[in-house]
Amino acid sequence: MTAYDYWSIVQGSFTTVGVSLIGILLGVPLGLGLALLRWARIPFIRQVCYLYVSIVRSCPAVTLILLIYFGLPQFGLSLDPLAAALIALSLTAAAFSCEIWRSSLLAFDRQQYDAALAFGMPAWLRVWRIVLPQVWQSSLPGLVNEMTMLIKSSPAIAVIGLVEITRAAQRVGARTYDPLPPLMFGMCLYLVIIFVLVRAQRRLERKPAGQEVRV
Amino acid sequence: MKDTLDVEDKNATKVLQVQGVSKSFGSNQVLRDVSLDLNKGEVLCLLGPSGCGKSTLLRCMNWLETPDAGSIRLNSQRFGAHKGGAKMNDSDLARMRARIGMVFQHFALWPHLSVIGNIVESPIHVQKRDKKAAHEEALALLAKVGLQDKANMYPANLSGGQKQRVGIARALAMKPDVLLFDEPTSALDPMLVGEVLEVMHELAEEGSTMVVVTHEMEFARQVASRIIFMDGGEVVETGQPAQFFSAPQTEKAQQFLTRFHQRG
Amino acid sequence: MSPDDFVIVWQQYPAIWAGFLNTVTLLVFAGSTSLVLGIVLVPMLMSKKAVIHRSIGFYCECMRCVPFLLLVYLIYFGLPTFGIQLSNWVAGFIALIIYNSAYMAIILRAAWRDIPNETIEAGKAFGLHGSKLLIRIVMPLMLMRSTPVIGNQMTQILKDSAFLGIIAVSELTAVMNAIQATHFIPFASFLSAVLLYWLICLVIEFVTLIFIRYAEVRRA
Repeated sequence: MTAYDYWSIVQGSFTTVGVSLIGILLGVPLGLGLALLRWARIPFIRQVCYLYVSIVRSCPAVTLILLIYFGLPQFGLSLDPLAAALIALSLTAAAFSCEIWRSSLLAFDRQQYDAALAFGMPAWLRVWRIVLPQVWQSSLPGLVNEMTMLIKSSPAIAVIGLVEITRAAQRVGARTYDPLPPLMFGMCLYLVIIFVLVRAQRRLERKPAGQEVRV
Repeated sequence: MKDTLDVEDKNATKVLQVQGVSKSFGSNQVLRDVSLDLNKGEVLCLLGPSGCGKSTLLRCMNWLETPDAGSIRLNSQRFGAHKGGAKMNDSDLARMRARIGMVFQHFALWPHLSVIGNIVESPIHVQKRDKKAAHEEALALLAKVGLQDKANMYPANLSGGQKQRVGIARALAMKPDVLLFDEPTSALDPMLVGEVLEVMHELAEEGSTMVVVTHEMEFARQVASRIIFMDGGEVVETGQPAQFFSAPQTEKAQQFLTRFHQRG
Repeated sequence: MSPDDFVIVWQQYPAIWAGFLNTVTLLVFAGSTSLVLGIVLVPMLMSKKAVIHRSIGFYCECMRCVPFLLLVYLIYFGLPTFGIQLSNWVAGFIALIIYNSAYMAIILRAAWRDIPNETIEAGKAFGLHGSKLLIRIVMPLMLMRSTPVIGNQMTQILKDSAFLGIIAVSELTAVMNAIQATHFIPFASFLSAVLLYWLICLVIEFVTLIFIRYAEVRRA
């Protein structure tokens, strides 16, 4: 393997991390919105959210990406591969994070919310200043875990032509007729990325001062 | 199958012999050179403040905890080592343990087995008894503890007192040489303590050999043939219950009993 | 896009059925084998001997850090360098099994650790030891406690099976891809695929629920 080969795989890692990161940044707030909609108990919307989450969570990354990249243009929406990949990953992140937000919201002490209501806080302020800060804390480990999951499903974006780590490594191997070294290098890159994330998750799981730790 | 256990003197009246047992957990020495004997038909009550080592001592008696020093003998057979000094393997240890019945503070019933399943589990799979006979004996034991109609229920659906009575039936099913009770009523609702103590009373009257770690002083006074009072990992005082409760001889025992009487 | 597209998709049902069956076959065989292997691995993970639990632990942690497709490439493209040439199906199966056995072992270990100490101690106190203690006390409790998570892992296996289309295994997504390319009906084809995957997941959920009910009765 030449230095350029290594570099091309590292470049793939920029795509991997970049696409996953944007997917999470877009998907997590979207998932929060979905979770809040379900928490608010609005009848028809609840069912729609539930259906959306259920279907997307059972959908393989490859299938979803193909659906968006090849399917949406039939409605006149022409997408480039990057946009399609971001949409697919965001939708997936939204569906999974919705569940994480939901369990935090369900565990949230509703009395605090009602207390805010009693003090005359408007709805958006209640959510923003009382509910979210605490729900955010308890959701954080789950969300970091989700980032890990997104990174592990990111090789799916290669089917629409985006070159991430796995595809880059496979290409180098196909060219040099020596597939093992680039794949091992790619594996090391994934290990580094995920190691960093898992470390961050473990740090976050140790609750910060001021909150009770249940033993 | 060759019986690798050394020949036991079944006629010996000394069921359990604890000699010079010491045990530390890390830097914390929990038992200091404890010795005692248990004769057939005796009911020994281990009393003492929290942390005095009585539970640890009990758990050493069936080798759930291994002492750092000293020996424990069941019917003259030494736990953990053969006569020649060879270390005992797991299956010999298991066989020795099967001669001892234990009742746990938090019941420790196996949730995936029914009540009767819990009772026959060890007789069938460890002692290799006939299934039908084991089931019949189990039903008789359940009747003895007053739970015959609960045979096919699961432990999750029983109250604490009922679970503990099943625990006692389970221990009895082993036809053990000695019964060990580790604070059997401490985890129970006060209302349910009586039903368990009643069963234990009956067992004592029938002549069972028992070692009981308990905080139930009244029970100890009525049922024990000997009280062993421990503090700081040592046996501080032993004696007949009548004498121990009315006129304790050591200062520590006196302090313990006054504190206890103050709590009422 | 017109609703007729879905009719065209439906007309391809022999091919779709074949792809669907392949996906379900992958799920059922890889899923059950990984679960069994996970059960075999977990005593090693919990072993007191450092050599054993460290090496198995290392393997499990590697599988947690690596994307499934990379493992597929390692097995399908990498092994031939050692003279081991596998067909795409066999490589796919082996990858699914190696990958998910690790996850199953991790799931089961967490459930094992959750079993109250006293419950296992009671087993020891009553003379159960070694494999008997493991099989009669630890494993039933471990499996009952981890049923929901195992169900979730089965869903994961289903989703990972779609990656195998990249090495030309004719599973459901690959078949739908072929159909949409031939008939120019991408949306209908892939949406049908999405709905079929959803259907399989509902079945997995249903089966998991049955096992959860069994465990609930015992509150294991």
